[in-house]
Amino acid sequence: MKTMKVTFRVNDEKVTLQVRPYETLLETLRERLDLIGAKEACGMGACGACTVVVNGIPLRSCLVLTPEVDGASVTTVEGLRKDGKLHPLQEAFMEKGAVQCGFCTSGMILTAKALLDRNKRPTKKEITKTISSNICRCTGYKKIVEAVEEAAKKSV
Amino acid sequence: MILPKFEYKKAENIAKAIAFYERYNGKVRYLAGGTDLIPLVKLRLSTPMAIIDLKGIEELKAISHQGGWLLIGANVTLFELKNNDTVREYFPALYESLDATSCETLQMRGTIGGNILQDTRCLLYNQSLEWRTARGFCFKMGGETCNVVPNARACFSNYCSDNALSLMALSASVKLAGPQGERKMRLEKIFSGDGRNPFTLMPGEVLTEILIPMKRSKGAYKKLRVRDSIDYPLLGVAVSIKGNTGKVCVGGIGPTPLVYNLKNINDSTFKDVAEKAYSDARPVSNTTLSPDYRKKMVSVLIQRASKKVLQEGK
Amino acid sequence: MENEFTTVGKRVVRSDSLAKVTGKACYTADIKLPGMLAAKVLRSPYPHAKILRIDLKRALKVPGVKAAISGFDTYGIKWGVFRYTKDHPMLPTDKVRYIGEDVAAVAAVDEETAQEALSYIRVDYEPLPAVFDPEEAMQEGVSQIHKEFTNNINIHVHIDVGKVDEAMNKAFLVREDTFKAAGEAYAMMEPYAVVASYKNGFLDLWMPNAGPHVRAKALSNLLKIPLNRVRIRHINSGGAFGGRSEVSPGDLIASFLSIKAGRPVKLVLSREENATSTRQVHDIIATVKTGMKKDGTIVAKDYRVVFDGGAYSSTGPIATSIPFYVYEECYRFPNVRYNGYRVFTNKGIRGMYGCHGRAFLAGNEAQMDFMANELGMDPMEIRLKNGLTSGEVTATKSKITSCGLKETIQKASERTGFKKKWAKTQRFKGIGMGCVAMMCGFPMGFRSGSSCYVKMNEDGQVTLVTGVVDNGQGNESLAIQVASEVLGVPMEDINLVNADTEVTNLDPGSYSQASTFVGANAVKVACENARRKIVAIAAEKLGVKEADIGLKDRIAYSKKTPDNKMRISWVVREAFFRGEPIVATGSFFPKIDFEREWVSRPWGQMAGTFSFGTSVAEVVIDRETGKVTIPHFTAAHDCGRPINPMAVEGQMEGSIEQAGVATIMEGNLWEGGFLLNPDLLEYKVPLACDMPDIETIIVSSRDPEGPFGAKEGGLTVRMNAHSAVACAVSNATGTVFRELPLTPDRVLDALERKKGVKR
Repeated sequence: MKTMKVTFRVNDEKVTLQVRPYETLLETLRERLDLIGAKEACGMGACGACTVVVNGIPLRSCLVLTPEVDGASVTTVEGLRKDGKLHPLQEAFMEKGAVQCGFCTSGMILTAKALLDRNKRPTKKEITKTISSNICRCTGYKKIVEAVEEAAKKSV
Repeated sequence: MILPKFEYKKAENIAKAIAFYERYNGKVRYLAGGTDLIPLVKLRLSTPMAIIDLKGIEELKAISHQGGWLLIGANVTLFELKNNDTVREYFPALYESLDATSCETLQMRGTIGGNILQDTRCLLYNQSLEWRTARGFCFKMGGETCNVVPNARACFSNYCSDNALSLMALSASVKLAGPQGERKMRLEKIFSGDGRNPFTLMPGEVLTEILIPMKRSKGAYKKLRVRDSIDYPLLGVAVSIKGNTGKVCVGGIGPTPLVYNLKNINDSTFKDVAEKAYSDARPVSNTTLSPDYRKKMVSVLIQRASKKVLQEGK
Repeated sequence: MENEFTTVGKRVVRSDSLAKVTGKACYTADIKLPGMLAAKVLRSPYPHAKILRIDLKRALKVPGVKAAISGFDTYGIKWGVFRYTKDHPMLPTDKVRYIGEDVAAVAAVDEETAQEALSYIRVDYEPLPAVFDPEEAMQEGVSQIHKEFTNNINIHVHIDVGKVDEAMNKAFLVREDTFKAAGEAYAMMEPYAVVASYKNGFLDLWMPNAGPHVRAKALSNLLKIPLNRVRIRHINSGGAFGGRSEVSPGDLIASFLSIKAGRPVKLVLSREENATSTRQVHDIIATVKTGMKKDGTIVAKDYRVVFDGGAYSSTGPIATSIPFYVYEECYRFPNVRYNGYRVFTNKGIRGMYGCHGRAFLAGNEAQMDFMANELGMDPMEIRLKNGLTSGEVTATKSKITSCGLKETIQKASERTGFKKKWAKTQRFKGIGMGCVAMMCGFPMGFRSGSSCYVKMNEDGQVTLVTGVVDNGQGNESLAIQVASEVLGVPMEDINLVNADTEVTNLDPGSYSQASTFVGANAVKVACENARRKIVAIAAEKLGVKEADIGLKDRIAYSKKTPDNKMRISWVVREAFFRGEPIVATGSFFPKIDFEREWVSRPWGQMAGTFSFGTSVAEVVIDRETGKVTIPHFTAAHDCGRPINPMAVEGQMEGSIEQAGVATIMEGNLWEGGFLLNPDLLEYKVPLACDMPDIETIIVSSRDPEGPFGAKEGGLTVRMNAHSAVACAVSNATGTVFRELPLTPDRVLDALERKKGVKR
């Protein structure tokens, strides 16, 4: 089957790739662009570990076909660090002990980032509701919520 | 998990979408948010030759008021619809069902059209090809039995859209466009009653618009699920009333939602509906939690939803 | 709490966090090697069937396929954790014993090709009768899954202490209950994956594992490759919880494929394969009979516990015994009989689990509450009465040294207002308590100890080499923190080389709760040995006594006159100059009874020490739907001393999710040999919105042997959180629970039963 040309922005860089029509964004990021931060934990959209931000919206990249993002702007966890400076969420996750095995971390951070981008001072309830889109098996979520609260404080 | 081979086409408008449908002899699936379709394709429950992306069709993203109706384009996301002022003010049942759907992130991707047209579900259906081959193909997969109910002659898969229930309770209609032209019908009419092919949509038809009569309503949506996010409804109940009339819609228990029309609502109306719905409901062991329990909850959730509705505005 | 240390006891940022928040941490599926092939496994569709024939010829002809194997290509060696449980050939040649069992595999240039090639493998089966219920499996005349194990009984653990029948007869109050629990799924976020690279006679492997040394040994045996040529490399691991300890068919498959193809091979399992074909957790049926005196003293316990083990032995006697041991290490049982049966069924293989034994543990605790109530006592009193204290010996002869059990009970009760809430019974609201102990390590022969090697480089930086394994709990950071404290250099100056069998020395692995007590202890000993060398030179150069030297922030200084100091890096250089570099090894071997054996000799010192914990759960039940919500959960854990309090809290909080909230929603669903929820949607892992408000209390009993007094970082909560929730629900419904998980339908049944039973 013929490949398709897709052009989009990843972490502010333009990329043009030949991809399979039935290739997912998760596969493209991990296999063609070596952006391994997004993980496949279930492949079926049930867990959120593959979450990346596309045109400002947090999406499960395992359910997105790469041709769909033609012309779009994609942000992965690798794109959060700017000029060597960590994003407040990255710092807060570290400082609050919100990272254990780390497999859910990149998806969790991006889901939280999308929240903070549209709501600068979310309540604990709002944060809990948003991150209930992502499964974490290790932390019990408490420190994750604390980290997002902390990052919100630091961002204002 | 790798997808099977298919081609990808993006349609600029409805006519082009239908043209693709015809070009591939109907062996296509229309793609909106993909949150229902892509998992089905990954499981090889659907193996189209091509996937036709409808997200480029601008007119399907609009929300407008026209001639006493709220018109919602099928590609409007659940999140956007939930945050729409009219929905919040006029249609509380719909607001609640949108908020209860899945999780926030999936609400931002899923569309109202896709949510309505999601395939019915069953624990023994939504499994990989290897799993299903070992178990044996059931009616819904083209086989000759039901894997849940021995000797059954029908499919008991469950229709799990939270929002179709509240939309029906709000007397919504839908517009469809296909190779044979356009048509409009009440939302209830899209259900075929057959779990194998749950919808009456004709080959190639695209759901384009949902129409809700612009009348303020009182309403509620109650959802039975194990976890408070992500999970599909094990049972969903939507209640919506305008003045003295209203509707109760029950879903998640079988392929076709139950719809009850209410007239001259009085103190015993909801108790009567709860009893009737309890007796009409036929859940089987194709989800987590026992069918007896889910059946019992039909009555409980109807009474809870109605209690909330009757208290509204007091 | 006073803290005389620089790093230890501080809430430090873990050393592994930065890589994980920036997406740079590498896990097995992220590995890319030149020429790497993709592997796929063909699995059994039958729960029990003879293998008549496996034909790989057509698969090998598919363009892009570079190798294929079945059990007929292996040496046919059977592996087992114990000499008497060697039943697993990894790839079978005689028969398949569960749906999802590995039967054959291919390696190809990409995943698509490998997947296609699988459909060309031909396997002829002859189905055999299968058995799915463990009680049924033990009956006469039932299909035998392994011919070496009669009546499908894999393991029978028999423990008999004192005179149980006599004591029961004399007891004032006797009660017997049977509890059931569905087996859980580990549901670690990382699906299993292996990369194997065979080159020039050396086999390098990467996979998420809890103990590379044990893994390498197993593979060396199975592959007939000398141990020094099987090198398991360090890799990040996405959670294990006890499910990644044993060698896996995937390891063997990837290795053989790499050997045949002459190229690296990567095998990544799907979520479904992870659920059906790696480890699952035992379903358990526990019959608990307890005899008590009028004053609440437990005089006798008589147990019969059946563990549904699935198709192979796995950890065998360990899983069959652990729930009993963590309980007998917590309470005083003068007379106790335990009959634990691990039974084969034609389902996936069940292994050890961090939350293992919930039917048994929660059952014991809930029954105890109701018996106490009959005697006019509350749950706190009965536990304080029967709880073990420092200096006592358990029923199977383990001595307890440091013991913070009492303090955990008191603190958890105080913080939650337990006594008052318990006394004020409210309908549909409940409060419950769960206690447990945790052995810090258990007898694993010569692998019970750990060894560490440390060197200091000329710039004063440290290289620390230890077998300690991290599966996400923070063990790597722990090792670095301990070294930092002893050597007086900041954590960022320490490079850790760990869990690499070519370089690191033996360690029990992150299995058996030994990483702090044993692994970090060895790190401490090694660093102290290195420290002595630094101190000797510094003392000489500064003209003071060795006892006067302190090491902190890269400086060696006189404690009496701190301005008299020198850089540690200078000391290191001086040491090089003298031909005696700052290099040291250190080992720690816990004082355990090596004659102890799970089946043949189940008594003697189990571990070097034990941790203790108490959890309290508060629940509210919706009377019409039976849904349980847990608004508050308080956990108190005696970890000896928290090396990193933030990491200990993290473990406790995660345990509340994985064991506490799990009690009301987690369980594998089966239809015969088919796992109905091998995914993350229908298997209910709790989400943030399902979690209670959590309070954690760390108790420090200062263990005499543990590094800085530390024991283990939070596992008691994984083994008592389910008890706390089940006891709270039992309290709220007024009846002892019967079956876990306590899903709404079950709770509603309990409420209705109670109504019916009312006089």
